[in-house]
Amino acid sequence: MTGAAREPVPEKAKAASFAPLDAGDASEAPRPAKAVQDPRGRKVKTTPGAFLGGAVGRLLPASIPFRYFGAAAVFHVAAWVALFAGADGAPRYRGGLGWTLASLHLVTLGVLTMTAIGASLQLLPVATRQAVRTRHAPTLVFWLYAPGVAAAAVGMGLPSVPLLATGALLIAVALAIYAVLLARNLFGARGMPAVIAHVWVAWIALAIVLVAALSLAFAYAGGTALPRAVALALHVPFAAYGFMGMLALGLSYILVPMFALSQPPDERTALVSCALACSAFAAVAAAAFGIAVVPLRVAAIGAGGVAVALHLRLMLASLAKGMRRDLGPSFRLVRLGWAMLAASLAAALGVALDVPFGGMATLFGLLLIAGWLLTFLLGILQRIVPFLASMHASRGKHRPPTPSSLAAGSALSVHAVCHVSALAVLAAAIVLDNAWLARIGTLIGLVGSVAFLAFFVQVVRRMLGAGAEGRTRAASV
Amino acid sequence: MSYQRQVSRTLDDEHRVNLELLGRIEQAFARAPRSGTTGHAELIQLAGALARHIEQDVGRHFDFEEQELFPRMSDAGDGDMASLLIEEHGAIRAVASEVLPLAQAAAGGTLDGAGWTSLRRGALEMVERQVAHIQKETMALLPLLEDLLDDDADRELSFAYAAA
Repeated sequence: MTGAAREPVPEKAKAASFAPLDAGDASEAPRPAKAVQDPRGRKVKTTPGAFLGGAVGRLLPASIPFRYFGAAAVFHVAAWVALFAGADGAPRYRGGLGWTLASLHLVTLGVLTMTAIGASLQLLPVATRQAVRTRHAPTLVFWLYAPGVAAAAVGMGLPSVPLLATGALLIAVALAIYAVLLARNLFGARGMPAVIAHVWVAWIALAIVLVAALSLAFAYAGGTALPRAVALALHVPFAAYGFMGMLALGLSYILVPMFALSQPPDERTALVSCALACSAFAAVAAAAFGIAVVPLRVAAIGAGGVAVALHLRLMLASLAKGMRRDLGPSFRLVRLGWAMLAASLAAALGVALDVPFGGMATLFGLLLIAGWLLTFLLGILQRIVPFLASMHASRGKHRPPTPSSLAAGSALSVHAVCHVSALAVLAAAIVLDNAWLARIGTLIGLVGSVAFLAFFVQVVRRMLGAGAEGRTRAASV
Repeated sequence: MSYQRQVSRTLDDEHRVNLELLGRIEQAFARAPRSGTTGHAELIQLAGALARHIEQDVGRHFDFEEQELFPRMSDAGDGDMASLLIEEHGAIRAVASEVLPLAQAAAGGTLDGAGWTSLRRGALEMVERQVAHIQKETMALLPLLEDLLDDDADRELSFAYAAA
């Protein structure tokens, strides 16, 4: 049929095993990305939107992304427990060690960053059409990072400075290794320039966050790298909007069109959005060092607002023009997250202009971290976990489980109701400066987080069950 | 996605038509009660459309892809994805073989309550599998065809598909 030499057909993965789908022995050198050739053996260009080509061979073993997602689900529960412990001071929280700070970092490090690492390790090799270079490094990152987050959170909550410092060091080493993995992937990236640009900005923000966070953590132990005010002014925007935010925006350019079955968003507009975000970060960084603080922060919020508006316009167009319009309850959370992103910028303006409301900074934190990032991420996570699980459970099976059959049950509905209610009650607690409302909101959030954990456990159990069934069938043939 | 190749355009058009039908089926059956839907006019009409979709489109579309396109996909280096798509065809055919007699009976007004319950479950499973499958083909197969097919191959395959 063709004159081109066929590539050797890789041995198939064991049916629905917990092993990588390309069935490579973990000790083997990773397979390089396959060159795309036409039937006559010519090299051909790759088409935008073709990023799923070769995707099956670029799947990590299920155990890698799922350990990150599972840990995120566990830390999610822990975050609500910690917030309950610190609920007394939560409505007017302005910083300092204690359980409120621990809760904040259980969300940012334990849920958001944990998921971001797991998702980016799996998504980026697919999106940038590169082979998975190593399976050991992501595992090492996890075993440094997860205990580090636990130690740092407990160290903040108790408080115990040695525990906090130990946790901070583990986290810093893990994130440094992750940054190297990310950079190696980005250097070899092909296609999707807007996604790559966003992830590079997130990478730079991560480097800044690491310096600022270590400076803040070791200030408690008497160390000084950056003045506390400077480190704090860099830490919050570069961690939330910079690292997590740009990663979320960048990966959305892959995930949203994929789920909606729509054209890839306009690259130029996405790049303009990215450039505006960069200018906002530059203004924030200058303001952190005391240069024209209020004007630069207001300018940063303005530039960030336009960047967000462009991004959301692309996302909404993608959803509107997609072949798949109704994306279910998960995307209602995603849409709520987008609304909270815009609201967080309005609250940031209130903080920058020092509006006379004692809970402004706390409200900003709630809208930014729980309102936007957590809501958005949980919406995306409840979509990609069953999708990825069905991919891993499917090979070699006559009729593999569908994502919805893996996720069936009421846990996600309970989670969605509780999550949204908890946000509303916590916002009311901040506005009214009411610790009882904060406790009630926290308990509602805790119920939701347990429901989300139950959903995750159920998906993994069903995935493993499908795998065991497939192996039994294969053995009996 | 705007495709240059006739084969890609034809398959994409069929995907769009199918997604529109599948979306209507999903919404109607998801709204319907789990039992006691016998005689519902909209569902009877959709059951007929589903039966025609399975009889006329699924086999023809899948056979063409398996015989003409997936081998080219494997030759181009993405045998893993081609294998996955073939496996998904097998799963969709299996569901379709269960759903077809139920949908035909529903369209003919002879399906009982238990049959409607089975049809609802099978139709929703078929929708989910087909949507996920179209998702993968849109992101992997169709863009690849744009690069793989030259004018002659595109014309030849288009005629072959039209004649099938």
